[in-house]
Amino acid sequence: MTTATDERAGSSATTPGVRLQRWLRRHGWTIGVWLLLLAFILWYATLIPAFGEFQIASIARNSLPTVYLALAQSVVVIAGGIDLGIGALMVLANSASARLMEDQGFAMTLAIAVGVVLGAALLNALVGLLIAVSEIPDVVVTLGMLFVYSGLALLVLPSPGGGTSPGLRFLFTGSETGVGTNYWMPILMLALPTALLAWWMTRSRRGLSLYAIGSDLGAAYLSGVSIRRAKVVSYAVAGGFAGLAGIALTTLANSGDPRFINALNALLASLAAVVLGGIVLGGGVGSVVGAVAAGIILFTLNPILTAMGIDPNTTQVVRGVLIVLVMMVAGLLEWRRRRAE
Amino acid sequence: MREAAPQADLLRTHEVAKRYGSVVALRSASLAVAPGEIHALLGANGAGKSTLVKILSGVVGGDAGTVDVHGAPVELRRPLDALEAGLGTVFQDPALVPDLTVEQNLRLTGVSPERVRGWLAHMEVDVPDLDTLVKRIPLPILRLLDLARALAHEPELLMLDEITAALPGDYVDTVFGVMREWRAQGHSVLFITHRLGEVLEVCDRATVLRDGADVATVTPSEGDERTLVEAMLGEGAPTRTAGHRERDGAPEGPVVLEARGLTARTALKGCSLELRAGEILGVVGLEGQGQERLFDVLSGDRPFEGGELRVEGQPVKPRSPYDMIRRGVVLVPADRLHALLPQRSLRENLASALYNTVGSWLTPVRGERPAVEGTIERLEIDTRAQRQVRRLSGGNQQKVAVGRWLAAGFRTLLCFDPTRGIDIGTKEQIYRLLRELADDGAAILYYASEFTEAPVICDRIIVVYDGAVVTELDPAEADEATLLNAAHGLEENVT
Repeated sequence: MTTATDERAGSSATTPGVRLQRWLRRHGWTIGVWLLLLAFILWYATLIPAFGEFQIASIARNSLPTVYLALAQSVVVIAGGIDLGIGALMVLANSASARLMEDQGFAMTLAIAVGVVLGAALLNALVGLLIAVSEIPDVVVTLGMLFVYSGLALLVLPSPGGGTSPGLRFLFTGSETGVGTNYWMPILMLALPTALLAWWMTRSRRGLSLYAIGSDLGAAYLSGVSIRRAKVVSYAVAGGFAGLAGIALTTLANSGDPRFINALNALLASLAAVVLGGIVLGGGVGSVVGAVAAGIILFTLNPILTAMGIDPNTTQVVRGVLIVLVMMVAGLLEWRRRRAE
Repeated sequence: MREAAPQADLLRTHEVAKRYGSVVALRSASLAVAPGEIHALLGANGAGKSTLVKILSGVVGGDAGTVDVHGAPVELRRPLDALEAGLGTVFQDPALVPDLTVEQNLRLTGVSPERVRGWLAHMEVDVPDLDTLVKRIPLPILRLLDLARALAHEPELLMLDEITAALPGDYVDTVFGVMREWRAQGHSVLFITHRLGEVLEVCDRATVLRDGADVATVTPSEGDERTLVEAMLGEGAPTRTAGHRERDGAPEGPVVLEARGLTARTALKGCSLELRAGEILGVVGLEGQGQERLFDVLSGDRPFEGGELRVEGQPVKPRSPYDMIRRGVVLVPADRLHALLPQRSLRENLASALYNTVGSWLTPVRGERPAVEGTIERLEIDTRAQRQVRRLSGGNQQKVAVGRWLAAGFRTLLCFDPTRGIDIGTKEQIYRLLRELADDGAAILYYASEFTEAPVICDRIIVVYDGAVVTELDPAEADEATLLNAAHGLEENVT
């Protein structure tokens, strides 16, 4: 695996060229996914007669829930877990916020939004604690939570309904009515949480501890990382982002929808985004930034296929083929690189 | 000076004990390290050295006993506690997270990269760029990074658990230089190694552990290797009975398995052996001398890079264990549950190897029942808990691991520490079984981590050291002291 060149690659005097090369190689997947997204958007632009601010704003705001959920799942997967309850937690946050925010003013809805995000984080932290203490596999516990959260959502909001304030809708979608051409607000809401999370994951000691437990439990423990705490933190952060996804959904639709199928769709989209985004199931490798692009790509497929005049029902097929195709290409590239070494 | 009052000691452990389940790893270990000394911790395989270090570094909790630092008792519940008490450790296995860069690893542990870089420069190591992923860094450099990181914590006591095992010679000297310098600064080093030459070279004192307890603390000086080995073995080392060797004068069988200069990464450095039909060839070695890789390579589990492997005269380059199983070379590994299907029944496990002989999807396995029943009878396997193999006792599990090859047929048996953690009665049964198999013409390669075993059941003994077979011994002459000396690579230095 390691070669003599690696051993000597080194010395303190690394040239900027070498640094750039290594940076490109290390973040190759993330860059690749973003380029793919760019290609998709350009393709979309050529498909429709007029591509402009409206389309950008539409893509940005409608992919918000998927992106937040992709971020949530990324954190858990990087830390070596998997959260099957994340979609249902989003639906719960969506239902609860829509019910509580109906007919409230902006300040109140903002306070409720903060409360829902913190509540979701706390709820999922308890799930993380349960996993850490009982050492029951993540899949099992979170599968149970999928049903628990879904049931709670139906208790909170038995049928679709509820609402929110125009001010909060503007905050997430850039428009008080949910339609419009202001794309700065949704793009900011995409970029800011992503940047914060990415920075925290790779720079802070706590964030690095999530990578550490996902990469090698033994080495992490010997490095002084508290395995349990890191596990709980990963689920708490994921819960917070699921709460955010629920709020985004409320502002997009100006209502809540507690149906189980939403939870399942959102969960599968989050897993697809994580895989497509280059995060290794099993933990330790990948960047949340890649998952964001993958989340947007998965969403963009809908308008592209519609624009091409293809039956929207084939979207799922295309999604599946895209995921497998990307994984195969990546596998091929990796294989060629290994052989070259 | 050396016999100073207790409170002058930097570290003092008193009757520390630890058991894992029913296995006692440490019975009662007391150790005192003075400020400003390099103290060696010695002992044969399984004497409890690593367990003691794990307790002192907060990785595992002790069951009994006390640890004092500067005369004050400390509680070591987590690795962090040990660091705060001034005990820094370089573990046997690298403690750097492979998917993070070096710089991120340092941030994870709260160590300043500047200090680490300073130590690396001081060691005159070709400083790797700290922005490199750990998994891309070669093992020797990683060990030195581990060392530099431990030093950056400025521990009063630096504990090095077999750091030299994975290092080439020039880096060993580098590490010695650091140890001496650390001593010169008034700090101490606890140094664990299997290489007695290193102890004589750098250590001021040495504490010897035997069977989980400290038996001696000596000041080693030139020519003391024998004394140290004797301390490790104890004067009352059990004398062997001649055991089952009744083969004197028997004709030698043909060579069935032959290795010539096998190399594999850093683990094997030109390993050669010849295994004949009808013999039990013992392999003896200290931990980490390449014996595990040797068995992995011979069983087809891992590839070898250089050298040649022949089965019954035919060169073989196995790509998977199946390639070797087809040629009649089968493995009984140390980890029994690793080899078996723990959730499945005794009979299924015994029959599993038979399936290798069936060609297509629809051909039924012939003679499964008689083969299985015959094996159970022959090995006297206790069938009371037969529904799930994991419920069988360790000894019975090991019988199943051997038995499935018995049911399927084989010509060469590779046994890697098959009696680890098995009671004496079952051990005897396994010895007898192996002898019977050899008498029937099987070739058996046998590694045991306990040095007392090989002379009892083997016809010849080879010693591995540093990835190669260094010498061959006649079991009649191989008492434990001779074996231990040879295993320490002392043959060429001393005799």
